Amino acid sequence: MEKILLKTENLSKSFSVGGVMQHVLKNIDLALYEGDFTVIMGASGAGKSTLLYAVSGMDTPTLGTITFGDKEISKFSQDELAVFRREHCGFVFQQIYLIDGMSLMDNVLAAGLLVSKDKRVVVERAKKLFASVDIPEEMYGKFPTQISGGEAQRVGIVRALINTPEILFADEPTGALNSQTGLDVLNTLTEFNEQGQSVVMVTHDMRSARRGNRILYLKDGVILGECNLGKYKHNDMERHEKLSAFLSEMGW
Amino acid sequence: MKKAFLIARSNFRKSKGQVISIAALMLIVGMMLNLWLILQMDYKKNFERHHDRLNAEHVAMCVNIGSMNESEKLSEKLTDVIENDSRTDEYSIDDALLMPGSFQYNGGDLNTTCVFLDKETAVSRSVGKIEIVEDSDETSGIYVPMIYKSEDIAIGKQMKITSGTYEFNYTICGFTNSVMGGSHNCAICEIVLTEDKYKETKEILQKENSIFANGAMFCSVRLKDVEECESYNAMLKDAISEYTYSISNYYTMVYQSRYISQMICAAVISAMAFLILLVALVVMASNIVNYIQENMKKLGTLKAVGYTGRQIINAFHMQFLSVSVIAAILGAVLSYLVFPAINIMMISQTGIPYEVHFLPAPFLITIGILGGAVLLTVWAAVRRVKKIEPIVALRQGVKTHSFKKNHVPLEHTKAPLNIALALKTMFSSVKNNVTICISMLVCALVLVFSAVMIENVIVDINKFITIIVGETCDSCINVNSDAEQEFLQIVNDDERVEKAYLYSNTATTHVNGAELMTTVIDNWEDVNNPDVVFKGRFPKYENEIAIAAKFAEENNIHIGDEIIVSSNGKEGKYIVSGLTQITNNLGLDCIYTREGFMRLGELSDVSYYINLVDGADVDAFNSDMKEKLGNNANMAINVDDTVSAGVTVYVQLMTMIVIGVLVLSGGVIAFVLYLLVRTRLGNKKQDYGIMKSFGFTTRQLIVQTTVSFMPPIILSTIVGLAVGCIVINPFMSLFLSSIGIVKCTFTVPAGLVIMEGVGIILFTFLILCLMSRKIKKLAVHSLLIGE
Repeated sequence: MEKILLKTENLSKSFSVGGVMQHVLKNIDLALYEGDFTVIMGASGAGKSTLLYAVSGMDTPTLGTITFGDKEISKFSQDELAVFRREHCGFVFQQIYLIDGMSLMDNVLAAGLLVSKDKRVVVERAKKLFASVDIPEEMYGKFPTQISGGEAQRVGIVRALINTPEILFADEPTGALNSQTGLDVLNTLTEFNEQGQSVVMVTHDMRSARRGNRILYLKDGVILGECNLGKYKHNDMERHEKLSAFLSEMGW
Repeated sequence: MKKAFLIARSNFRKSKGQVISIAALMLIVGMMLNLWLILQMDYKKNFERHHDRLNAEHVAMCVNIGSMNESEKLSEKLTDVIENDSRTDEYSIDDALLMPGSFQYNGGDLNTTCVFLDKETAVSRSVGKIEIVEDSDETSGIYVPMIYKSEDIAIGKQMKITSGTYEFNYTICGFTNSVMGGSHNCAICEIVLTEDKYKETKEILQKENSIFANGAMFCSVRLKDVEECESYNAMLKDAISEYTYSISNYYTMVYQSRYISQMICAAVISAMAFLILLVALVVMASNIVNYIQENMKKLGTLKAVGYTGRQIINAFHMQFLSVSVIAAILGAVLSYLVFPAINIMMISQTGIPYEVHFLPAPFLITIGILGGAVLLTVWAAVRRVKKIEPIVALRQGVKTHSFKKNHVPLEHTKAPLNIALALKTMFSSVKNNVTICISMLVCALVLVFSAVMIENVIVDINKFITIIVGETCDSCINVNSDAEQEFLQIVNDDERVEKAYLYSNTATTHVNGAELMTTVIDNWEDVNNPDVVFKGRFPKYENEIAIAAKFAEENNIHIGDEIIVSSNGKEGKYIVSGLTQITNNLGLDCIYTREGFMRLGELSDVSYYINLVDGADVDAFNSDMKEKLGNNANMAINVDDTVSAGVTVYVQLMTMIVIGVLVLSGGVIAFVLYLLVRTRLGNKKQDYGIMKSFGFTTRQLIVQTTVSFMPPIILSTIVGLAVGCIVINPFMSLFLSSIGIVKCTFTVPAGLVIMEGVGIILFTFLILCLMSRKIKKLAVHSLLIGE
């Protein structure tokens, strides 16, 4: 039996757009399991990112509950959510969102030192993570504007993982990258997942989605279907066909 | 222009808070500039208007008639001298009563030289007419200059005037406006009596055989050229030097002395206005430069679609100029709402009525100064837009910062994380730091000024008195020279007396055609305030003189120089031993030893300054002295009471100024910080979002934001306070130079300055925390996507 890391019940999210209520998420019941690489797919406007930000404590739901372990995080205050995010979550964004005014190392340490007070340990872990994503030491002092998009996204992954989060949330992590650098980033995420890191990734790219073992398809704010692909293997045609069939079934 | 308008309108919409804050600063500047210009340009002109309207004199002189047979001779002499001087335009000579007098005012005894005039004579003089500005049904009594109108000096109330051993009681019938004699600051204080009271007063003096019993000649002269008034006055004084008791004033002296408060107020307002304008311009420039940096891409887009650099610059001009000019107009309008309150205070100081009315010149100059300053500032800040190439701007627009150094690397710093991040932000915000530093330096200077004024004027007035009034003591007794030995014997035998020394302000001396008020001393070591001679030393020998520093500077006279002095028709050479600063005669004074003065004239009466032992009753002592000396005592003044009556207005004025500048400084600092925090939150919205996303709490971000502003605030406050403490006395000297003070020695209260420094730092911290709370309202997701 897989361990449930986070689950939602009747999760709903509505926005008022020009005075008209838009129900983006509708009564979603969802469980995220330890060690999974969960992919959330769907067309633009289906509510993928909204779901990701809601379950990760970045945004508050309109209705429903979100439970992490035995804690109902949907009842948390903003400050409690901040602590929850720093201790249990890591984030990788499409726009990368490194802080321009900080060096690459400082971008990572700013997040790392929030949780651990032992600077030596945090620095060591940062260096290990940098090495694992092929960021050499001479780049630590560079600023985000001085590196490529692919390098920046890999630094973003290092920052997301610096506090050894239970779940790594990734919102279209390859969306702003070219084909090769996008592939590098996917490989990095896959490697970390293979080492036991739970990942939840939003994407509308089939090539990216193939990396997941569990695919959720969202349409009009509800989970329309789910597909289990099993663990990722390179050039796995069967897996590719299974995903294609699933997406086809979902109306992709 | 239409295109520039479109850009300006778009910028307006996006930066309403910034527009409001700059408008608020400009409103304050507009208000203060207009107030200053009204005070500077029209308030003193009001003196000229009243002077012309009442056909007032340029030189006024009142000469006491020693004996009945002197009357005709004096009248003839005055007429002869005045008519034969080609500078005379018209004159009036009338009978009056001249005597020193004291009365209760502002809780103390006000001592002045009174010229009593019969009502009919006073209101009908061809030159130097006195105007009744407030009258009543009372038919017998006194009309007092309106400067003294107060709770105790009001229509229907009794007023007691003491002169020597005599006391005169009058019912107050009304108030007068006399341009040249409407205040004790004018040297002559003209008091109008109804016919019966005038006669009664004269009869009492005759009955008592007073030296003032024969009356006086009050002579008012209008000149063809007002510039000649000082030398004309000196000439007239010389001509009647044989008469023992006379008093005079002249246009420029009265003009300045009646407006000391107005000068102080105008100087403070103008200093504050220009300092706030400086802050506003720095804030404006900083905002523009920030805007250009943060909106490089937008500017590139505008250029790419065909907007010229000039059009973009025009848009900035339009945006800031329109805000500033509208705010300045509103500020100028606001000044007319504030001015009546200032006017009431000013009238109570000048004693000359002033009607508030719209003045186009100050209004236009205010708009002009502000408009010009804003135009130049905007042009200086925005001119580089012209050189920006669209493609470069578009590229830089994606990433606007060009960081050169990684300040406070987290890997190596020992500072806690939030402090380290705050310091990082601080080091990357050079323009903000400059704005903060300039604002806080200005604020610190104002704080030092207020601390010095609180300590030296409001809390303990003695230092102010020492500088402004010069020499003070407990009692001043003026006796006839014949009775000096008898007086000294009495004083020496009195156990209440600690010290008595000659300090006689009796006659005038002429140096280079100018009249200097003379102080005669026996021994300089006796004086209570050796700072009166602030450079060099008091005269010790008969060929020495100490002269006013202001006068010395204007006439290029230095210590050690030999100068020729004339008085009473005699001339003598004296060596300048020191420089004095006394405001009694607007910085026109000199000090001799008794022997030195005797070379030129005689002392018909002498004034002694007396220090009493602690706890001694000054009034009781003065009464005893008057009783013992009889008619030989011309005057016995309770100096403490006199000084407190005179300085109360300054204390009130300074209290208002200090409160005003402190509130204003606090407001300006709050505005500046609001603008800076707002800009910071706007520019770093995404950074805050990123940091919130990986777990920084709102409180941590507020602390970071606040702390990032604190080092420049603390540093510039400390530097500003330290510099302020050093420059405050020279600055105040500059400020007070027009009234004869060239070296101020105000106590700088270190404790109070430090307290104010700590207070302003805490105040800024609190303001920053409050303003940074806006971070709380911003959701992580919204911040990230830049909503």
